[in-house]
Amino acid sequence: MTQTSPDTLAVELCGVDKSFYGVKANDDVDFKLAQGEVHALLGENGAGKSTLCSILAGLYRPDSGDVFFEGEEVTFKNPKEALAAGVGMVYQHFRLVSNLTVAENFALGHPDTGVRLNQKQIHKEAKELGEKYDLPIDPAARIWQLSVGEQQRVEILKLLYRNVKILILDEPTAVLTPQEGQALFKTMRQMAAEGRSVIFVSHKLDEVKQVSDRVTVLRNGQTVGGVATADADIKELARMMVGRDLVLPTRDTTEDFGEVMFSVKDIHVPGDRGLEAVNGMSFDIRTGEIIGIAGVSGNGQRELAQGLVGLRTPTAGTVVLDGVDVTKQTVLQHIKAKLGYVPQSRLGMGLAPGLTTEENLAIKAYRSPPFSKGRRLVNSAFRTEGDRVVEEYDIRGVRPGLPIRLLSGGNLQKALVAREIEMEPKVLILRSPTRGLDVGATEQVRNLILKEQARGVAILLISEDLDELLALSDRLLVIFEGEIVGEMPADEATAERLGLLMSGQAEEVSS
Amino acid sequence: MSQRRFIVEPRGLVSWKVRLGVPVASVLAAFVVAGIFLFLTGVNPIEVYAEMLDAAFGTPRGISETLISSTPLILTGVAAAIAFKMLVWNIGGEGQFILGAIVASGVAIWLGDGLPSFVMIVIVIVAGGLGGAMWAAIAAIPRVYLGTNEIITTLMLNFIALALMNFLIFGSSSPWRDPEASMFPQGRPIPENARIPEFFFRLTGGIFIAIALAVFAWYLIGKTRWGFAVRIVGDSSETARYAGIGVARKILTVFLLSGAYAGFAGGLFVAGPVGALDPRSLDLGLGFTGIIVAALAGLHLLAIIPVAILMGALNNAGPSLQAIGVPTATVTMLQGAILIFAVAGEFFINNRIRRPDIEPDQKSEVVPVLEEVEPS
Repeated sequence: MTQTSPDTLAVELCGVDKSFYGVKANDDVDFKLAQGEVHALLGENGAGKSTLCSILAGLYRPDSGDVFFEGEEVTFKNPKEALAAGVGMVYQHFRLVSNLTVAENFALGHPDTGVRLNQKQIHKEAKELGEKYDLPIDPAARIWQLSVGEQQRVEILKLLYRNVKILILDEPTAVLTPQEGQALFKTMRQMAAEGRSVIFVSHKLDEVKQVSDRVTVLRNGQTVGGVATADADIKELARMMVGRDLVLPTRDTTEDFGEVMFSVKDIHVPGDRGLEAVNGMSFDIRTGEIIGIAGVSGNGQRELAQGLVGLRTPTAGTVVLDGVDVTKQTVLQHIKAKLGYVPQSRLGMGLAPGLTTEENLAIKAYRSPPFSKGRRLVNSAFRTEGDRVVEEYDIRGVRPGLPIRLLSGGNLQKALVAREIEMEPKVLILRSPTRGLDVGATEQVRNLILKEQARGVAILLISEDLDELLALSDRLLVIFEGEIVGEMPADEATAERLGLLMSGQAEEVSS
Repeated sequence: MSQRRFIVEPRGLVSWKVRLGVPVASVLAAFVVAGIFLFLTGVNPIEVYAEMLDAAFGTPRGISETLISSTPLILTGVAAAIAFKMLVWNIGGEGQFILGAIVASGVAIWLGDGLPSFVMIVIVIVAGGLGGAMWAAIAAIPRVYLGTNEIITTLMLNFIALALMNFLIFGSSSPWRDPEASMFPQGRPIPENARIPEFFFRLTGGIFIAIALAVFAWYLIGKTRWGFAVRIVGDSSETARYAGIGVARKILTVFLLSGAYAGFAGGLFVAGPVGALDPRSLDLGLGFTGIIVAALAGLHLLAIIPVAILMGALNNAGPSLQAIGVPTATVTMLQGAILIFAVAGEFFINNRIRRPDIEPDQKSEVVPVLEEVEPS
């Protein structure tokens, strides 16, 4: 299966450097990809995986170092050149035109596309390709009508339609249910069997172990090593990836819940297109309890969270916080009622990217002392409070006057969570709080959440990361198309069971 | 070998030296490039610049005239900057300026001689601000509640304002028109007690009022609770909504405030050197020049003051060039060149260029961002 003699190398990178903002994302990286293999690229966030792939795909050019493609030195000036040579990448954020059909997206940028589109021909080829790789799609469907998983299929098939020799998949399983992930792995093996090379980017060890032939591990922008997957064991890979043995914090199983603090009854929330995105959900959260909501992205999680914090007005149902009906109240009233919210998009909603860290830490609390006296801001309080929080929550990279957007993802999230905790919430709603964070930051954020639980905060954890949900939740709900389709205590939950429910398959009634 | 010769990368923390040095260099570069053009037309650029410097700052009277030209630019500059900071593209400073002048002179003529001068001056300036704010409201209200494009509406309102002023003076026998001017129509002089006293040649106390208003705007945005909320909205309206800030109202208020500042400029100009609704003195593009001032000052509300004085000096120096046989339009070219270089200079404020083999100075630069902004 794996051949490493030099003449069958599909790609070789030698001593590649790439810096952003003066920090090396890739530092003297070596990477060898053989023909016909599934090669996993393993590493924490910020380890340089995406940068490496983007260099291969022609999106970035290396500052120095050499790229060999089928034995020849190349410099791809742009993704188009890379694609013409046979290197294609499926990015984490899809590059599809959402108003066009699947077939039209196939034709877009294809060298054979002339002035007129031969829709029939493309439809036929797209359909055949989908059947061949067991990735069924409807060529006439418009992209915006498709689920995230289906859009990913379109991205992969689009590259196969271009007949690429090297496929780069950047964290493809992040948006899939476990079952969809398995189907993707089958396709990946099929492509490798045809002699194509697949680069599979992941930080999930079990997936890497399952699907790949070889693994290259990156850490802090450098290659730590490359091994045949069969020879590596999971613990060793983890150590290579993180640089130390690691234990992620999990919930305290000796539960001690209090009164119901947050009660949601039959809530309906409209989506962006006016249709109901949340369709009658009910649950209670007691003090000191963490309720997890599992589901594939786009099943109403965003609308649910926004409906609960006042950013969207529920059309029906009630939300009661500590005995007070807050259903129709404004965002500000929710904040004053001690509801904390960590949205999914850190720089898009949770933080003001261009303001400094100390200003961002005061974005909710600025209305009262110590941040303001009457109508006047107290600048010294911004500084002292900012310094204290930065110190206490170990937020790194902060400098006076520096816009917060220049912090790394983990530090952004620590700042965001810290600010919400500093408001001393009674209820805390978190969306994917450790998404995209490296293991160290994940550990810190999880600890913060568990500390709030111990303080008696009622916590709602809405996430697509099953590991996180299983590690932290006391009780799990599964959301599908805006409804709760399953509910179970954490002890009875498994990734498989949740995965089935998340994909909309109702559970058989077990006795 | 794929060694690259230069790397362009965003700066992390931008030091004040860069923030100040780049615009200064931009202005100098504009003068050099304009100088080349002057040279090609057969005049000695050094002679031209020397003449301009002398006209603008060489004599006490020149300095006085320069500051007179600068006074409205400070306010129209602030008007543009506070709107642009909020991503409100109010380019209607010109029209709001004119409406400020119309309302201010109208109120002054209507009130007549009865009131004490101090009270009168305050009323006239406030009336100017109200006029500007009203004119801005015509664009602001549909922008905030219906999502119309304020660039188009404010721009068109400029032409309407200009036509309105011309109608009041040339096209009708309105109260603004001087009945005693029989030969050529002109504005009726406002009562003497509405005029701000002159203290340094023709320079009035208006310059101090303009500076005070600019400092007040800076204080309002930078030092108050309201200003902090405004800055949050300007940085990210989604984040502001998330933090419980009423975004629509904030945008509306800032839009009206922007109009008011342009209107203050109109009021001050009428109560200062002009003394009447005089189209020939008011139709000078002072609202548009305010946009250049704001851009060159990097939207910094205090930096606007020196930048406005520079632009005022250029405006003031223009006519003197005719004496040495150079067209006044040279000044327009210079202002255009300065704007282009200032906008291009932005790139060097936010990015730096280095050789790949030279390591960046780690002390002044920080941390990468490797995370994309995701949709909420």
